[in-house]
Amino acid sequence: MQKKADQKKTVLVVGGGVAGISAALDLAGNGHRVHLVERGHDLGGQVARLDKFYPTDHCAFCPLWTEIRRCKESEAIAVHTLARVESLEMREQGYRIAVVKSAPVVDPELCINCGRCEAACPKGVARPIWEHAYPPVYLIEGAHCGDCRSCVEVCPTKAIAFDREERPIELDADEVIWAAGFEEVSLEPLKEYGWGTHPDILTSLEFEAWKAEAGENRGKILRRSDRSVPRSILFVQCAGARDLRLLPHCSAVCCMHALKQAQWVKRRNPSIDCVILYTDLRAVGRDYYEYALRDFNGNGIRLVRGRSSLITPLPGGDGIAVKYEDTLAGTREIRRFDMVILNGNLRPSLASKPAPASRPELDGEGFVAPASVSCGFVMEPADVTESAIQAASAALRTITGKN
Amino acid sequence: MSPVADTNILVFACRWCGLIGADGAGRRRTELPASFRVIPVECAGYVEPDAVIRAFASGAAGVAVLGCHVGGCRFNDANHPALKRLELLRTLLDTTGIGGDRLLLGFGTAHEHHQWADTIRDFHRHVEGLPSMESWMTSVAGDR
Amino acid sequence: MKKIGVFLCNCFGEIGRTVDLESIRKRLASDPSVGFVALRESLCMPGDAAEVRATLRERGVGRVLLGACSPYGRMETVRLGLAKEGVDMRKVRGADLREGCAWIHGKNPAGATRKAANQLDMELARLQNGQDSMDIDIRVRSEALVIGAGPAGLAAACGLAGMGIPVHLVDRGSAPGGLLNVVTKVYPTEVSGPAKIKSLVEMTGSSPLIRFYGKTKVASVKGYAGDFKVALAGPEGNTSLRAGAVVLATGARLLFPRGLYGYGKMKNVITQMEMERQFAAGNVACGNAVFIQCVGARCAERPYCSTICCPLSLKNAMRILDEAPGSTVTILHRDIMTPGSTLEAYYRKALHRGVRFVRFDAQRPPEIRGNGLVSGVEVFDVLSGVTRSIEADLLVLSTPLVADPESAALARMLEIPVDRHGFIAEVYPVHPVETRNDGVFICGTARWPASSDQAIAQGEAAAVKAASFLGKETVPALTMSRVPGTKLGHAEANAEACTGCGNCVAVCPYRACKLQRVGQRSVSRVIKVRCKACGSCMSVCPNGAMQIPEQNYRVTGAMIRRAFREVR
Repeated sequence: MQKKADQKKTVLVVGGGVAGISAALDLAGNGHRVHLVERGHDLGGQVARLDKFYPTDHCAFCPLWTEIRRCKESEAIAVHTLARVESLEMREQGYRIAVVKSAPVVDPELCINCGRCEAACPKGVARPIWEHAYPPVYLIEGAHCGDCRSCVEVCPTKAIAFDREERPIELDADEVIWAAGFEEVSLEPLKEYGWGTHPDILTSLEFEAWKAEAGENRGKILRRSDRSVPRSILFVQCAGARDLRLLPHCSAVCCMHALKQAQWVKRRNPSIDCVILYTDLRAVGRDYYEYALRDFNGNGIRLVRGRSSLITPLPGGDGIAVKYEDTLAGTREIRRFDMVILNGNLRPSLASKPAPASRPELDGEGFVAPASVSCGFVMEPADVTESAIQAASAALRTITGKN
Repeated sequence: MSPVADTNILVFACRWCGLIGADGAGRRRTELPASFRVIPVECAGYVEPDAVIRAFASGAAGVAVLGCHVGGCRFNDANHPALKRLELLRTLLDTTGIGGDRLLLGFGTAHEHHQWADTIRDFHRHVEGLPSMESWMTSVAGDR
Repeated sequence: MKKIGVFLCNCFGEIGRTVDLESIRKRLASDPSVGFVALRESLCMPGDAAEVRATLRERGVGRVLLGACSPYGRMETVRLGLAKEGVDMRKVRGADLREGCAWIHGKNPAGATRKAANQLDMELARLQNGQDSMDIDIRVRSEALVIGAGPAGLAAACGLAGMGIPVHLVDRGSAPGGLLNVVTKVYPTEVSGPAKIKSLVEMTGSSPLIRFYGKTKVASVKGYAGDFKVALAGPEGNTSLRAGAVVLATGARLLFPRGLYGYGKMKNVITQMEMERQFAAGNVACGNAVFIQCVGARCAERPYCSTICCPLSLKNAMRILDEAPGSTVTILHRDIMTPGSTLEAYYRKALHRGVRFVRFDAQRPPEIRGNGLVSGVEVFDVLSGVTRSIEADLLVLSTPLVADPESAALARMLEIPVDRHGFIAEVYPVHPVETRNDGVFICGTARWPASSDQAIAQGEAAAVKAASFLGKETVPALTMSRVPGTKLGHAEANAEACTGCGNCVAVCPYRACKLQRVGQRSVSRVIKVRCKACGSCMSVCPNGAMQIPEQNYRVTGAMIRRAFREVR
């Protein structure tokens, strides 16, 4: 039984990642109503799709998954997936929010994941969504679709339709919490990283999906160019971050992320040589530094303090040449690596939203300005734990009205 | 088909890792021998040695306990003491003539559907190669 | 007893293609405990849940068995749908005939059908033999105890009071504020420590909901979520009170760097905290100041980064440069730890402001020069590869936060674990302020080194999580779970059969089993609030005295017996 039913608020939470889910659950737990709006198919955001968490080295999705299901079970939380905020209008009391529900080819409400569309598709554009998405559905998207509509015919539940239209919905809320998370920024403008010039130059999120246990390689560490086992992998930190040309901020999560990936590479194949090029090793959370120490203590991962100046594919495409400075040894080196993982190019998602009506006021670096309530990466680069803390704190501030 | 088939395998799968691995194998239509039955449990910590012995007495030729990796348990590492306990049970199985190798303790993450499938296939093959449980059942009956 | 209704889902042929559902239907229908068996094309499509509900009403069955897909497939949709239709989900069980059967035995229809029949039989056994755990309603005392009145504790107390919950705020000091009381500027802002928490301190003083107990310690805490019995030892003697939740915000201490870099022997070697005190006294150092980072941190003894020392040093360095013109500040560091956007900008600001940075290697720490007073520092600058000799009029050591032994003692009292450094562990990772013991929350530097901003956010987080529990008058123990919905049940101890061996007490990961004296005997008792139904106690109990009714020995036994039963 709720004691204070009279002070119920309705809160719009934008973003269904760790921060958004946590904020929604904390609000609902205190008797408030929530509209949780998420752009993608499912809740969980970027973190749920990671292969592993640091520093526990266990699955990333499982702890989140229970939270996702609590959101769905809660009567106080209305989950709007495949939806985006179009505009916010300030009213005398609260906001009127225009939301657009996008029109997927496969309706997740109806798809039973039977896979008949995949079997029927001659172009291979029907494929299952990522491993642990809930609900598990098929996606039909891609430029290669030949418009044959065989999938529509074989679908037993009529889940597939190509003529669905976007649907506007209107929501009313007393408060808004921004929790839209982060997105990757293209490293194309910074030519020295060579991103896009070779399949074995990947961003760390691309690599995470590539090496995932549940991914196409079943956890094997392979080159993307020819699926051979790489002999050496270089992790480049602060790629695009702490760089005034692209992202001035430190993305906060990449040091640990690289350490984690390197350790998993070693665990799966100890013969692969791993080098991490870092600037400052920012391992500040609980057990993080000890996690990093495993690498210092000779498990075969070499930590090199320095920045790369040029990453370029070798002629013929077999391998990548990297020029870097080892500032601790005081040497400049040119070395060949089989794979290069670029880490750091993360920015707050709202920074790329062009329409000011659809987002709060942002600061110079694209983070939500303090005038609005926000949590997670849109507020300040944060890992899972920090995001969850900020989310609860944001929930309190919307409940008590003290921002 | 006799109820005491030589390949009957009873699987205790924790619903946080083992069972999700099984789900992943299913989604990929990984063809597996139909000899195994699954009892979903909250945690591998639930599986008591007694249950394993009862399974053998009820016609299982192999018992598998599939839990999370040590350290990855949802219940503050409740799986850890349980698996140690079951490890001790092996000795008992050896002395009773069932054979400790009929008990499989497996660790896997929810991601590892392929590992789940391999585990089941390998264990099935292994159990298939062992002497028939029927002789053991008769010998026990004879003792009585 | 009401009969069991069975729904078999064909899943548009996905199951029926392999599994002979009709033969299974006949088989199940012959079971005396089964009321009816319905074959359905689907269970998860829109409208299906309502139809199922209608059938259940019509047939008057009490329990339901669903033969459909895996719990991680569409079964979730089915369950959510039925729950929304008002079906008691504790009476519904599912057997996986799709992912776990039809899809993996597609080439063996006979085997698949037999397996499907067995698995359905096994789940039927659960419904036939399982009992419902007796649930209890926990009466929640809508009051909170907050231990520690630093920034985290204050934020927690004010947050709770802001939501209308009475708070007992306890601190060993005479006034609230904690470490912030000595900080004259809080990074990365220009406000002072006391100013930063001014509104919180004012609210503490003025709110009728907050009662502050100064110079008071917690003598004992007993009980569990909803009702903790607390004894306080204060200047006016002992007070006892009861609280529904406890927020631990006891803070940490700064390492005293005795014996390091001449500290304690040379007068001009001080810690950052002592520097703060000098600032407070209006004494901003002149001349050449040298800061050394990671003094006693990120070393073998304390292998962790204390989070706050780098930004703190940046702040003090810039303050010296701003307020004492002509001074120089050199920060000797191993890595500058300023993650994020705000702190990274702060670091850039310090670079522009003229703070000098020299990076050293932990294997070659700086060496000090001087007799009686430090006059300079020799340090090998790893970036330029030369040994630098830096004049120093003042040497400031950045020492880490270390765990307070008093927090560890409280943690023991509250039955929550501490990590190997003595900081209190949370439930990793998405429950950052919750602990293993429900109703006990942790925030601030007692949890892990944190800045004042982080500590305040954690305090607010603890308040929100505690309030979601304290805001209710009663909470069913079965919902006290971090797992969705209700938990499986709770373990129950049969006092007749229990011999008091204590196996369950040793193995319970939640400290839910306790030995209790009953007459001459000692028997186990389960604290239902804490039990998460993992089943550990059941599996170690030598006499079967410990049971989770939903999955008791009869259930397991029947499931095992039916697993390989022949199917005709």
